[in-house]
Amino acid sequence: MTNHWIDLRNSDRIMIIGSNAAENHPISFKWVTAAKERGAKLISVDPRFTRTSSKADIYAPMRSGCDITFIGGMIRYILDDMQKSSPSERAEKYNMTYVTQYTNAALIINNSFEGALESTHPGLFGGYTASKNGTPGILGSYNKSTWNYADSTTPASDPALVNNTWTAWEDLDSKCVLRLLWENYKDYTPEKVEEITGCPKDKFLEVAQTYAESGAPGKAGTIMYAMGTTQHTYGTQNIRGYAILQLLLGNIGIAGGGINALRGTSNVQGSTDMCLLSHILPGYLQVPIHTDQSLDDYIARAKKGKDFITPQGLAGDKSASWWWYNDADPNYKKYLVSMLKAWYGDNATAANDFGFNYLPKVTSGDDYTHIGTFEAVAAGIVKGMLVWGQNPAVGGPDSEGERKALEKLDWLVVSDLFETETAAFWKRGGANPGSINTEVFLLPAACSYEKQGSISNSGRWAQWRWKALEPIGQAKPDLEIVDELALKLKELYTSEGGEFPEAITKLFWDFREGAAEADPNIAAKEFNGYDWTTKTALTSFGNLKSDGSTCSGNWLYCGMFDANGNNKAKQHDPVDKSLNQIGLYSGWTWCWPINRRIIYNRASVDLDGEPWDKDHPVIKWTGSITKWAGDIADGGWNPINLSAEGAKYLPFIMHREGVGRIWGDGRAEGPLPVAYEPWESPLETNLLTGVEDTEANGTPGFNDPCCYIGKMEMDGQVWNERGTPDNYPYVGMTYRLTEHWQAGQMTRNLPWLIELQPQPIAELDPVLASQKGIESGDIVEVSTARGSIDAVAIVTKRFQPLTIGGKTVHHVGVPWHWGYTGQCTGISPNGSSGNVLTPHVGDANTTIPEYKTFLCNIKYVRKGGE
Amino acid sequence: MKDIERFRKRAIFHHWWIVLCSFLLAVTGLFMFMETLSPGAMGGYSRIIHRFAALGFVAVPIIYFVLNPKTSLEWLKEAFTWNTDDIGWLQAAPEYYFGGPEENMPPQGRSNTGQKLWMVVVIITGVVFVITGAVMMFSGVSGVAVILHDIAFIAGGAMFLVHFFLAVFHPRMSEAMRSMITGKASEDYVKSHHGKWYEEVVAKGEQS
Amino acid sequence: MAKAILYDATKCTGCRGCQVACKNWNGLEAVETYNWGSYENPKDLSTQTWLKMRFIEKGGTETDNMRWLFARQSCMHCTDAACVKVCPTGALHIRTDGFVALDKDKCTNCGYCVEFCPFSIPRLDASLISGIGDKATKCTACTTAGLNRIDNGYQPACVNTCPTGALTFGDRETLLSAAQDKVAALKSNSHPNAYLYGENEVGGTHVLYILDDTPKAYGLIEDPKVPAAATAWQDIIKPLGYGIVGVVGLGLILNIMVARARIISREEK
Repeated sequence: MTNHWIDLRNSDRIMIIGSNAAENHPISFKWVTAAKERGAKLISVDPRFTRTSSKADIYAPMRSGCDITFIGGMIRYILDDMQKSSPSERAEKYNMTYVTQYTNAALIINNSFEGALESTHPGLFGGYTASKNGTPGILGSYNKSTWNYADSTTPASDPALVNNTWTAWEDLDSKCVLRLLWENYKDYTPEKVEEITGCPKDKFLEVAQTYAESGAPGKAGTIMYAMGTTQHTYGTQNIRGYAILQLLLGNIGIAGGGINALRGTSNVQGSTDMCLLSHILPGYLQVPIHTDQSLDDYIARAKKGKDFITPQGLAGDKSASWWWYNDADPNYKKYLVSMLKAWYGDNATAANDFGFNYLPKVTSGDDYTHIGTFEAVAAGIVKGMLVWGQNPAVGGPDSEGERKALEKLDWLVVSDLFETETAAFWKRGGANPGSINTEVFLLPAACSYEKQGSISNSGRWAQWRWKALEPIGQAKPDLEIVDELALKLKELYTSEGGEFPEAITKLFWDFREGAAEADPNIAAKEFNGYDWTTKTALTSFGNLKSDGSTCSGNWLYCGMFDANGNNKAKQHDPVDKSLNQIGLYSGWTWCWPINRRIIYNRASVDLDGEPWDKDHPVIKWTGSITKWAGDIADGGWNPINLSAEGAKYLPFIMHREGVGRIWGDGRAEGPLPVAYEPWESPLETNLLTGVEDTEANGTPGFNDPCCYIGKMEMDGQVWNERGTPDNYPYVGMTYRLTEHWQAGQMTRNLPWLIELQPQPIAELDPVLASQKGIESGDIVEVSTARGSIDAVAIVTKRFQPLTIGGKTVHHVGVPWHWGYTGQCTGISPNGSSGNVLTPHVGDANTTIPEYKTFLCNIKYVRKGGE
Repeated sequence: MKDIERFRKRAIFHHWWIVLCSFLLAVTGLFMFMETLSPGAMGGYSRIIHRFAALGFVAVPIIYFVLNPKTSLEWLKEAFTWNTDDIGWLQAAPEYYFGGPEENMPPQGRSNTGQKLWMVVVIITGVVFVITGAVMMFSGVSGVAVILHDIAFIAGGAMFLVHFFLAVFHPRMSEAMRSMITGKASEDYVKSHHGKWYEEVVAKGEQS
Repeated sequence: MAKAILYDATKCTGCRGCQVACKNWNGLEAVETYNWGSYENPKDLSTQTWLKMRFIEKGGTETDNMRWLFARQSCMHCTDAACVKVCPTGALHIRTDGFVALDKDKCTNCGYCVEFCPFSIPRLDASLISGIGDKATKCTACTTAGLNRIDNGYQPACVNTCPTGALTFGDRETLLSAAQDKVAALKSNSHPNAYLYGENEVGGTHVLYILDDTPKAYGLIEDPKVPAAATAWQDIIKPLGYGIVGVVGLGLILNIMVARARIISREEK
């Protein structure tokens, strides 16, 4: 979240899309409700009418996977409204100062850039190369050389836009970002939105108009999203769509604004910060690749294309480009060296590049994400696996395939509270334990109440939790398990050697400091960082050095400790001391970066440092002596108008151009999102790009042109088949229920929750149900090209058939919580997890699986009941 | 003085058996009727007594009826056979029972009108008790059943007080209790209290 | 001071945290359920389920927007509480704060409360014949002896866990006035049928509902009343019974005094 949970209450317009916050983040509705009590309007956009929708002022149905069409339509609505309004009306309805001064809307893009909707390459930008057909992997890739600014270091801006004098699109430079944005989305008319998404035009316009009202200066709109947004082959571009919308409406950096990813579990934010993902090190530093022979190579590669950019013609004239701030001794290097120091301690010296080469490096081009890892397991490349706090046998896509892949392992270690489906994969329905040679270890783990440590919530607040109970039986906290494991590995590598032992033997590993067990407080101090000589905790990442004199396991968390070594994650000041009590509660725990509760908050004030929204000021300039009041300002520099030439810092301090990116060249499949169809779509032609689906494994331009198509072959069987609308005519989707948690082990072993949702369900609309002779309570079989599950049918008007391109499209929804172990299991022997149905395909940028949209069929099996 | 047999042994047993069950039923019922007595319900365990007593209250009369169908039917017939003498009795009874002269009392049969009235009340309330009780016992409390049960309790209870008082305390009913214990009453008592029946008994005796 | 629980249906997301918190606090067991084609479960209240949320689907047609309504089903804590009226032992009683409490030690499992509650809330699970089993149960607003949150300064468990503020606890007067304002606002804001349920029903209940539609739409009983039979029984028949028995008793005492005197005087003559 750019903002935080409590801040939702400051919003005037809340759009929940790709999220079912009321059901999956029930506490968020404390603040959504508070906003509504203030008069905020709540919009729910979802293929199904959820408990979130039940509380919404406007509910807009949408075919699953059509976010970009919907958001693109909203962007078009806003641009059209901007253009049709007179300059003065425009400035009343939209914060044009924000749009032009704080985003790259006015900047001029490379003249050679070719848009996505031109006749020569429909649905694709210029510079695309498709991969060989029929092979799994990425569909294709782009040469991004034309995606940058026309002048790569000092891009010009369009004066007509900056000065708000334009009235027609032709008044703007044909390569200015706002104009390109219009060109990209001008076909996303309300009629087109209706045709593709199935959302009635009037409903769509009601949403667009209502949400666009948050564009007025002083108004705030927020987007709450979750896995419904991300789990698509173009999930990252969905989020880009939201970011563009929010920048156009001046909603980033302000109270009640932002784009707010509701993380799926209580500590997803923390685990991401600490490098849960395979492409980053802690603190979002890039992971080293095999060609990084030295620290300098690594830094040079990371720096490549990251030159400072100084936009011309804007009031601001300086970008911080925080990562590379101070060119000679960039922050990036300080953070990495401090991390290496934390990892390798005295073994990290200037002479050995601070142990840079002890770090594992990935092979560039290989996929180390969930999908790629399981394909490597299936292919016999990965021989052993540690599964920790995860249950891929239920949670992984095409999960029957992933369960099968586990059979190829030599050994599997599962650390969990219960015997999960993953730990029990060898005795699942249909498996033959006698022919499975995987050695499985189940380590009993302590639950969250049985250990202390910090969790970082979606709002980036690191909150310390204390132990309430002793772990049951032999269960141990994760830290103790990993500590024992690491020390044993160190001992074995020291005594026996092996492949590249230094990565382990050179580790500085002391989380006990003489005690019998590892202490999370020691780990916390390490990732905060301290002076290596004095061992004094550092209070800000500004103190980190690239000479090896400081350590910090994660620069983002530097500052969690005060100079006396007190951990601020443990502080609990319940008094809100923020300006106008907007709910920052800055004395309650601590958040990164440096306790900044709303990031990009310099965008919440005008060029003179006055808040756009006088009622909800995040920060406020109070004069050259007292400086900023309120939240920790994003960079302490003076307001733009009160700074000297050459030091007028632009608000988006992490970006090298200093402004928010409506145009962004970082994504794989284009600088602006284009509406593609899911891998499995009920359509034969992409109704926006006009591209037909001609290829068996996905067609670039019909589908996301850079998405990842997985494939596993085991024992002569091919997994991850692609279904077609002929055989699988309905749009399937997976989701969670309030009453269960993720892969279900923690809730399917709790009778009070089992009572509430005792069986897997499949939801469908009454029209489809009557066609199929299905009644509520019947047992039905939902099938895809990957597999099938049995579930109890819930026939409900909360599902409605949609008319898409003249044809009726039905949705079938299945939760994925159920499995085959625990007190409450599914109906079919495979455990009835919705993920038996989902495809092994991934997002073009992150390879997150496309869990949310696929093609399925449904049929009646038998009567249900007691 | 010569005694006349008013009640056979089995009838006496039957009477006292009903008295016993009714007593238990009434007392345990009162726990549920008067809140001040409710601790006696012992959190519901009194129900067990109530239901065993109810069983006795139902079962024994049925057994009695099966074993003595003729006399039972006669008794029923007697209870429901009313004539002008009964009206005369009802008119004269208040004065008589308040110590007035006996002359105005019409001669009575084996049971006098008051006794017949009591018999009718016992039969009707008994049937109501049994039906409503059975409903509650076998299909749960219903509003109608519990209210009728209570109405029967009030009606029966009030009449019982009269019955009990006359039998035990009233100077004019000096031999009532004795007859229900020993089965016998003095000839004088019978002659004065149950004139018609006395005639029948005498006539029957002469015939035999 | 009269207390109340205010349930604002417009804020409820149907998460059922209240349902679980109730079981958790009161030590109630999970009920074995199956999915009967609905999110709603258990299907009914029981001795182990004192509070449940009902899920009601409305609309979903071309002319009528889809709505998914959630309604709390639990004791209403009536001022004119039929259960208290008919409870023969005083096990059910009204506290000074207006909540209808239940003293299980006094309960005899008679089932009168189950029969006469206009909202069909109390449950018992005892053998009909022997009466042995779970005693009558219902929400006590967390005033059950040994589990009494209210008198120890805590909110009821359901209120405490409610994430959205759909449930609040406080002085009835205060909540009522807030609820009246909210309902008035709803009425003027495209919810003409908005209704404050419990304000006047059965003498005013101590669980109040803010509804954006009619009580009927929410599956609530419109104009609930203490059953006439309960009133007739408790307020007419029973007092009459005491009266009749009293009069008869007095009459008999009078009778014996008069009769004795007259008989003796006649014998003396």
